[in-house]
Amino acid sequence: MRVVLADDAVILREGLARLLVEAGFDVVGQAADADELLEQIEARSPDVAIVDIRMPPTHTDEGLQAAAEIRAGHPSVGILVLSQYVRPSYALELLSHGTEGVGYLLKDRVSDLEELASSVRRVGEGGSVLDPSVVAQLVERPRSGDDPLEDLTEREREVLSLMAEGRSNKAIGERLFITEHTVEKHVKSILGKLRLPESPDDHRRVLAVLTYLSA
Amino acid sequence: MKPIDVAVATAALVAGAAVSVAVFTSDSADHAVRTGVLTLVIGLSWVGAGLVALHRRPENRTGLIMVATGFIWFVAQLGYADNHLLNTFGTATELLFILGFAYLLLSFPDGRLHSRFERVLVAIGFLVCVVLQLTWMLFDGDPENLIAVTDSPDAEAAIENVQRAIGSVVSISTAVVVVRRWRRASAPLRRAAEPVLWAGAASFVALAVSAVNDIVGQPLGDIEWLWWVVFATVPFAFLAGLLRVQMARGAVAQLVLELGRAPEPGGVRDALARALGDPELRLAYWVPERNGFVDAAGRPVELSADATVVARSGRRIAALEHDPALSEQPELLASVGAAAALALENERLNAELRARLEDLRASRARIVEAAELERRRVERNLHDGAQQRLVSLAMSLGLLERKLETDPEAAKPILRDAREDLATALQELRELSQGIHPSLLTERGLEAALGELPLRTPVPLELEFSIGERLPVQVEAAAYYVVSEALANVTKYAQATAVRVRVDRVDGNALVEIADDGVGGADSSRGSGLSGLADRVEALGGRLALVSPVGRGTVVRAEIPCG
Repeated sequence: MRVVLADDAVILREGLARLLVEAGFDVVGQAADADELLEQIEARSPDVAIVDIRMPPTHTDEGLQAAAEIRAGHPSVGILVLSQYVRPSYALELLSHGTEGVGYLLKDRVSDLEELASSVRRVGEGGSVLDPSVVAQLVERPRSGDDPLEDLTEREREVLSLMAEGRSNKAIGERLFITEHTVEKHVKSILGKLRLPESPDDHRRVLAVLTYLSA
Repeated sequence: MKPIDVAVATAALVAGAAVSVAVFTSDSADHAVRTGVLTLVIGLSWVGAGLVALHRRPENRTGLIMVATGFIWFVAQLGYADNHLLNTFGTATELLFILGFAYLLLSFPDGRLHSRFERVLVAIGFLVCVVLQLTWMLFDGDPENLIAVTDSPDAEAAIENVQRAIGSVVSISTAVVVVRRWRRASAPLRRAAEPVLWAGAASFVALAVSAVNDIVGQPLGDIEWLWWVVFATVPFAFLAGLLRVQMARGAVAQLVLELGRAPEPGGVRDALARALGDPELRLAYWVPERNGFVDAAGRPVELSADATVVARSGRRIAALEHDPALSEQPELLASVGAAAALALENERLNAELRARLEDLRASRARIVEAAELERRRVERNLHDGAQQRLVSLAMSLGLLERKLETDPEAAKPILRDAREDLATALQELRELSQGIHPSLLTERGLEAALGELPLRTPVPLELEFSIGERLPVQVEAAAYYVVSEALANVTKYAQATAVRVRVDRVDGNALVEIADDGVGGADSSRGSGLSGLADRVEALGGRLALVSPVGRGTVVRAEIPCG
């Protein structure tokens, strides 16, 4: 899988490249800012672009803007945005235009090479990735009035969080050491309690869950 | 009335009476009685109006010119006298009063000519009224004329026509100058000058018409009497102008009444604007602390050239920024200022308070801004420093985990990188937290914290600390930052070879003084470091002073009350 990296800090860019090569990725380009990134994508047609949110010149949300441009110009390129901070609003903004091939991860996740590699792969294959800490903030957010989330069992909440992270039923099953069939039962029950429509499409499911959580 | 006024008035009466007698008894006057009466009326109107003008505006030459013109008029009328000497004298000066009239008009209202063109007009007028007149007399064979050289009617007529031609051009020019000035004048000046300028301009147009008619051989004859009547009324037109100023004085009385009714905010300005007839009037108030003027909102203002300062018992209170034309009425400004002084003093106190609030607001805004900048700096430092190192460390550990399984030999350099990342992150965190608040200051106090500064300052530093006990926390912190910021400036800019830091207790204040022997010339308005310090010290009720003459070192001195 071909990957380009964009981060203005060389130490992080190089480190990440080393990790990804170790995990079997083909790092085909590196960029220090959004303009360079777009050039690299143009030139190298990668499967995934891993982008730091904060880059020159303003060091605010250049990475997010670049992601929007890549989505518009190169819809086939998966985008994994890395952030130093947990910002649900940024994450939701990123995923609001469709969850296909989009991910948002905290930089901390680089310490788990297996997990990082699987996230990159998921985004590259058109799936979605949402950092667990963002999902946790969304799930634990205090809600006014009748909160159907309180009707969920502990296990159902775990499944909901993993759904929101963009994982498939199979992955959720592996995570929780339960069968895929059991996961399906939990999903059905959760969607029922939250009054969300059942959908065979993972993307629509993620979107529905996120919309629900962030509403 | 002053004795000099009485003397002048008496002289005018005597001269007028004498000249009138000369005219009444004249053999040459066509209408001796009419001419005599007119002679007396015109002369006395000019002298009288001039005296009133002088009385009202001693500093203005207008009155003087009017009095002079009145006397010149009497002299001119000697041209009717039968006595040859008087007659010659009168004839020689018979046109001079017109020059006086023109000068008065051109120089109105301040008694000075305003442009080169006006001076040229007066000079040409002098040529016509005096030089050509005397030349003409050389050829005038009248027996009364004592300076005739020859009798040449042709030359006489030619010179007369030249006089009339040039005279009419000068007259028309004068009228044009006056009308243009009136049109360009601001409202108060128009109001004051209107009667004089219109009567004057009309007189000179009439004079030009008369002269042209003479040239073409169709004298206007008796209609010319009309001109003399107008000429007699001109001084009254001027008196009317004066009366308008008098009416403005009535406005002062009105102003006193209005101010007595405790006006609304802004009401003082409106009342003053009405009294002065200047709707654009602006007020500025004196703030001694700033050694400058501020507006009603407390914002600093620069006075324009046309500003009159109002003072009370020798202290400045306010300034009236008014229409330039009002400078011609200093006594009106003075009386309005005097009438409003108390009200203005009240407004001044308000403005002074607002100026202080404005200072305070600005200082608070600077403190908030400085805190915000500092937070951003800290965030940026963390993001680009320690956080980055730790992410890098996390990556190394991730890689290490993998390598330990697959290639234990390759793990060693990764482990070394990880340890270096960790060490760097720790160091950066330490430096950052020290910058946020030096731990020594909290733990051991100001003396200990300052005691470390010589180790960190590249310039030799002598510390003299004379306070035995701990000071309030915020005082110690402010003192510490004053010293460290001042030392940072010394290191960066002063090129000093030595610096002395003194901390002492004076009159219940903590005194902090940093003196170097460097290049000096430091300016607290440049660079936010010192102004930020000043805000911090002033927030504790203290003062920060900077003495930094070029070439003679810099002294930063802070005095902070110790609660």
